[in-house]
Amino acid sequence: MSQYKTQTHKIGVYLWIWALLFVFSFFSYMVDYLNFEGLLRWTLILAFMVSKAALIVAVFMHLFWERYAIVNVLLWPMTLMLLFVGIMAAESEYTVFTRLFYFVAGS
Amino acid sequence: MNRALSKLPKGWGGLTHDLGSDQRAFKGMPWGKAMMWIFLLSDTFIFMCVLISYMTGRASTAVSWPNPSVVFGLEVFGTSVPLLLIAIMTFVLISSSGTMAIAVKHGYEKNRKLCTIFLLLTAVCGATFVSMQAFEWTKLILHEGVRPWGNPFGAEQFGAFFFMITGFHGTHVTIGVIFLLIMARKTWRGDFDKGRKGFFTGVTSNYRAIEIMGLYWHFVDLVWVFIFAFFYLW
Amino acid sequence: MSDEHDYKIEAKAYTASSSGAAVSSGERPDEQELYHSKSWWTTYVFSQDAKYIGVQYICAATAIAILALVLSVLMRIQLAYPELNVLSPSAYYQAITMHGMIMVIFFLTALFLGGFGNLLIPLMCGARDMVFPYVNMMSFWIFLLSLLVLVASYFVPGGPTGAGWTLYPPQAITEGTPGNLWGLVLMLVSIVLFVVGFTMGGLNYVITVLQARAKGMTLMRLPLTVWGIFVATIIALLAFPALLAGGLMLLLDTVLGTSFYMPAIIAVSNFGKEVTTDGGSPILFQHLFWFFGHPEVYIVALPAFGIVSDLISVHARKNIFGYRMMVWAIVAIAALSFIVWAHHMFVAGMNPWFGFFFAITTLLIAIPTGIKMYNWVLTLWRGDIHFTVPMLFTLGFFITFLNGGLTGMFMGNVGTDIALSDTYFVVAHFHFTIGIAPVLVVFGALYHWFPLMTGRMLNEGLGKLHFWITFIGAYAIYFPMHYQGLQGVPRRYYEMYDSTYASSAGLNEFITIVTIVVAVSQLIFFYNVINSAIRGEKSKRNPWKANSLEWQTPTMPPKHGNWNELPVVYRWPYDFSVPGADKDYIPQNVPPSKVRKARVEKT
Repeated sequence: MSQYKTQTHKIGVYLWIWALLFVFSFFSYMVDYLNFEGLLRWTLILAFMVSKAALIVAVFMHLFWERYAIVNVLLWPMTLMLLFVGIMAAESEYTVFTRLFYFVAGS
Repeated sequence: MNRALSKLPKGWGGLTHDLGSDQRAFKGMPWGKAMMWIFLLSDTFIFMCVLISYMTGRASTAVSWPNPSVVFGLEVFGTSVPLLLIAIMTFVLISSSGTMAIAVKHGYEKNRKLCTIFLLLTAVCGATFVSMQAFEWTKLILHEGVRPWGNPFGAEQFGAFFFMITGFHGTHVTIGVIFLLIMARKTWRGDFDKGRKGFFTGVTSNYRAIEIMGLYWHFVDLVWVFIFAFFYLW
Repeated sequence: MSDEHDYKIEAKAYTASSSGAAVSSGERPDEQELYHSKSWWTTYVFSQDAKYIGVQYICAATAIAILALVLSVLMRIQLAYPELNVLSPSAYYQAITMHGMIMVIFFLTALFLGGFGNLLIPLMCGARDMVFPYVNMMSFWIFLLSLLVLVASYFVPGGPTGAGWTLYPPQAITEGTPGNLWGLVLMLVSIVLFVVGFTMGGLNYVITVLQARAKGMTLMRLPLTVWGIFVATIIALLAFPALLAGGLMLLLDTVLGTSFYMPAIIAVSNFGKEVTTDGGSPILFQHLFWFFGHPEVYIVALPAFGIVSDLISVHARKNIFGYRMMVWAIVAIAALSFIVWAHHMFVAGMNPWFGFFFAITTLLIAIPTGIKMYNWVLTLWRGDIHFTVPMLFTLGFFITFLNGGLTGMFMGNVGTDIALSDTYFVVAHFHFTIGIAPVLVVFGALYHWFPLMTGRMLNEGLGKLHFWITFIGAYAIYFPMHYQGLQGVPRRYYEMYDSTYASSAGLNEFITIVTIVVAVSQLIFFYNVINSAIRGEKSKRNPWKANSLEWQTPTMPPKHGNWNELPVVYRWPYDFSVPGADKDYIPQNVPPSKVRKARVEKT
């Protein structure tokens, strides 16, 4: 097991990313504070969320420097989850349609 | 070993080379780290299923959903600030990720004292996060009448999803804090320097364990990023 | 040509060492830190040796399966002779629930992954043990705890849950369903414990296969048994999360009165407290459950596929036809298994457009499965087939799985499924595919690897008797159910009343009698196991003349640490009947210099 010597990064890398994470968190918070609405709100929320997640995974969890094998093994299963999100979004739309149609409309 | 690692083909060619080679598919990755990554993949799926259920519950409700910025707002100095406590919690958790990364760095550089200090700082941040979450729960349950089975703000599922999601996440943070304290003690005692055998597992201690702990801790922060965006901001 | 050049390693990326040392790459397998037990307790009870843990899993899973088998016999007696009232309606529903949950999750998943995985993965990969023996040990004990919690549900007020193994809300929680309070809680707690224990074990299996293989052992030189169990474990690590999330919310609905799944119902009584629910979505549970549930059946099937490939190549002395495609088929089945789940929900009232999507993916999954069937048959073609007991069970697998797979096509199509859903046709289909077929593989595998575990052979005569009764019997039990299903006989009915289905009373009686015969005849197997373990014929080393590494250890059964020196692998495990070789098999660790005359291809 002594074959695994690791080199460490300079502390600056972590501090810069730490700062960036604060900036993105601040902006996410501002989206709510300034009461953005609709598509702009959702796009901004998602964009900041994905950026923060990417920074944490790539830098703090070191994936940016790992070989492709582990990166691919970890990221491809996420497409499954995206499919599940899509299916359940469609299902929720159908559910709320049936609820409004049968329980609300015409009552 | 690092020189040998750097001689391997990189990029997509590296992917096919690694998967087609003998012995190891993940070159240069200790077993414990690979295990933690796959565990985190599995845990990610659990949280995603929970969040997808939340999405379904909220999107299919025929009753209006409460406004999180109002529910989780705080009255400070006479003005109500939306999501203030949540913003502070986010700040605390991100800071803990930062201190964790620095602790890992010091661990590999064998700076025993600095490593312990940053591990303890991380644990303190984690404990602060959990206490703030507990404060939030107390406020909602005792003062606002929010229950798992109903609440005065809107759809019944709001309370249910809130307690389930934050409870599940908070449990993960708490477990992380406990393990951080264990790691801090092992570091302070010099277990990693001496390669002392673990009490339960009998496995030789190594500073790699701090990096593996770090992966778990960053995962906990990562989940919070998603919860913050989907539950509180959306 | 020296041997070093003949095993495929990263050597290509490095310059070969000029001293001609065996390791030209500098990369060595990680030396494992084994736990050496010092007391009887830590050797045989809290064992950290994967071989022992594997046997523990096999025994625990078999024990709980016997309970499920007894439940199924009681169910059959109730169906054939309802006038005997051997099971009340509540007891019948509790029986089907416990039978289903035990057989699918606690028996087959634990047996294939925990039992055969632990026993075979380190050996077949050329490792000394699993990568984290302590966690591996804990995984078994948590599994045992989950079994105890499951059985405890028989002793709580209300008894075990009678909601069906699918545990659909709101009925699982409402009054009228047996065990809707304590029984359901204990079932869900048992499942949570199982998932925790399984994750600990599963991480071991996956990382051992990925990171702890011997020198020269590439992924494409692994026996298909390892591929089957490995891919099944990956599926499980990704599918059980959905069950955990769904089950957690069901638990909260039961205990706290939340409305994750509960629509507007006047009152639900939770442990003495009346609660009104509103706004929940029962179909959310179904989606979560089947997102887990469909991959789960492939978790059961894929190890069986892998084991079958190894059994037939050994017992027909022939290389598996199309090894690479077999591997890709396993991977393709695994990937596709995640996008077919809603074919269990065609009549559930989900979004109507889904039927189209999921029917297509369901029919697609038949393609890689079909490829595997063809390759098995082509492996047998012109092979030197030895009709040993493992071979017989494998042949039984082909016939039953083919039957089960074909009936799946009827239900994969939305139109025909509307008529067949919730009938005995479904019962027949899933018993053929995950009831009979993998169980035949389990038996075949146990006969095959018994010498590895005990150093003795199982009695061949008794084995053949056991096979014929089980195979013919199981066919006789489940084949008539197809006709019942086409008639429209519904599943989960505890008796036929004087409905139109009363006409199948004769068939029910026939099935029940055969069931009792088959169930009792399993005693032959147990007698064989116990008798042979004590005074069976001692087996030679490598009694089946197999190639894979588990038979190439210095001692048989393998000792702690498996090998003195870790093996080096030069070839795939299917070099059987190679033209020009002296013997009809060439083990994986035989260097090329020893088989110069054989026309071995580079693998």
